[in-house]
Amino acid sequence: MKAKISELMDGEAGSQESAGPLDVLRSEGEARETWRRYHLIGDVMRDTRLISGGFSARVAAKLAAEPTVMAPSRVSPKRQTQRWQLLSAAASLAAVALVGWVAFGTQESEPQMAQVQPQVQPIAAQVPPPATANDYLYAHQGYSPRNSLQGVAPYVRMVSGEAGPQRR
Amino acid sequence: MIRTLGFAALLCSGLGQGLAQGQGQAQGQTSAEAMTLLRKIYQATEKLSYTGTFVYQQGERTETSRITRLAGPGGEIEKVEVLDGSPREIVRTRDTVRCYLPDSQTVKVERRTDPRAFPAMLPQHVADLARNYTIMRGERVRIAGFECEAVVLTPKDELRYGYKLWADVNTGMLLKARTFDRKGETVEQFSFAQLAIGSVSRDRVKTRHMAQNWRIEDAAVAPADLGRSGWTLGSVLPGFRKVTEVTRRLGEARPVGQMVYSDGLAAVSVFIEPMSGRAETVRPGPSSLGAFQIYTREIANHIVTVVGEAPAASVQRFATAVEYRQP
Repeated sequence: MKAKISELMDGEAGSQESAGPLDVLRSEGEARETWRRYHLIGDVMRDTRLISGGFSARVAAKLAAEPTVMAPSRVSPKRQTQRWQLLSAAASLAAVALVGWVAFGTQESEPQMAQVQPQVQPIAAQVPPPATANDYLYAHQGYSPRNSLQGVAPYVRMVSGEAGPQRR
Repeated sequence: MIRTLGFAALLCSGLGQGLAQGQGQAQGQTSAEAMTLLRKIYQATEKLSYTGTFVYQQGERTETSRITRLAGPGGEIEKVEVLDGSPREIVRTRDTVRCYLPDSQTVKVERRTDPRAFPAMLPQHVADLARNYTIMRGERVRIAGFECEAVVLTPKDELRYGYKLWADVNTGMLLKARTFDRKGETVEQFSFAQLAIGSVSRDRVKTRHMAQNWRIEDAAVAPADLGRSGWTLGSVLPGFRKVTEVTRRLGEARPVGQMVYSDGLAAVSVFIEPMSGRAETVRPGPSSLGAFQIYTREIANHIVTVVGEAPAASVQRFATAVEYRQP
């Protein structure tokens, strides 16, 4: 199943194949956690600004613990009118909008997301480039599609430090 | 209806522009005008004779070089000479590339054995680019005295970089090229400071180095089938295809296998070489040199080095995909 999830994330699974894992993702706890973890790994590898593991669970818990404030402190007359219009339009919809608005207001005054420190370390740490890196770059350059776009110009990219990075 | 479409197109191009500068994810749509301009650039690179000075910028590094190209019935010759620091030169003819390195008194020679590996960019290839990039027109600006029009290639996923190209409105000559990552930050940039398009004398494309006594490093490139030796890629990243597969010598004598994968703009080389005979220690993991991302791995007593003009995550995925099975 993990391999399937990985394929799904990489967009390698066809629509037929995706149906199975997707259904499992909807129901199964472990598969969902794998899906989440894989995305987290992907984010770390791509150096995306991270929110820590278990973030969604903690947000859900905080939201549940949040007192439902029915009278937010400062509301401009215009917004109040809008709210009343909403309320009169459809009670249920308005209730949802109000809760959403309240939640949003709370977040504004208390930026909780910014306080969460990333706990996950990048998986693959940078190492020094190979001593003969320039040889590889030169060998690659001959096949670079940039040559048909720019002629011989892109060759200047690797002839800077003649004998490689340590000579710089 | 037409007005609505026009407005939508305007909105799309505006959006794409903003995002190309910003996050590097395409939202707009490829336009026919942008494709035409891109084709014109490829044709100009193929057909024009010119000489000029350009600046290469990458991170902290800024370097000026002179480039001269002579097109003609006898085949084209191109020369680039680095004007800052050691006077390195690269001379490319139709079938050979020679790289003159005066500091180490070395000439690197690479002969083209496989014509498929150096294809001219044909119109259908430009159309293929639109599968992985959204190609849109950019603004008109003046560069080195030339009225230029821009074309922006924004990647449709995070596996490749984006490109912005500025070309002379009249000839299609590429005056400036910028590579940007998904945050919209510049990876590298080429920009002409001075350029003269038109006939060039043959002397100007010859090397000025008397290199008779220099050491010659011949790459000895030969077509190969690395799969028969047991080396394959378990999966290739979406949009990439194998361009060539060769054996060659790296540096003075190290024999390596090389597989090249490309989507038409992004390109990755997978090098495979036996561990024995390597003097220096191998540090597995990701590294980078200039605009290139590198990933080193050890598999079955071999060193796998992936070098790419692509984001680090893509290069790593290529490295991870390399498999060895005893043939």
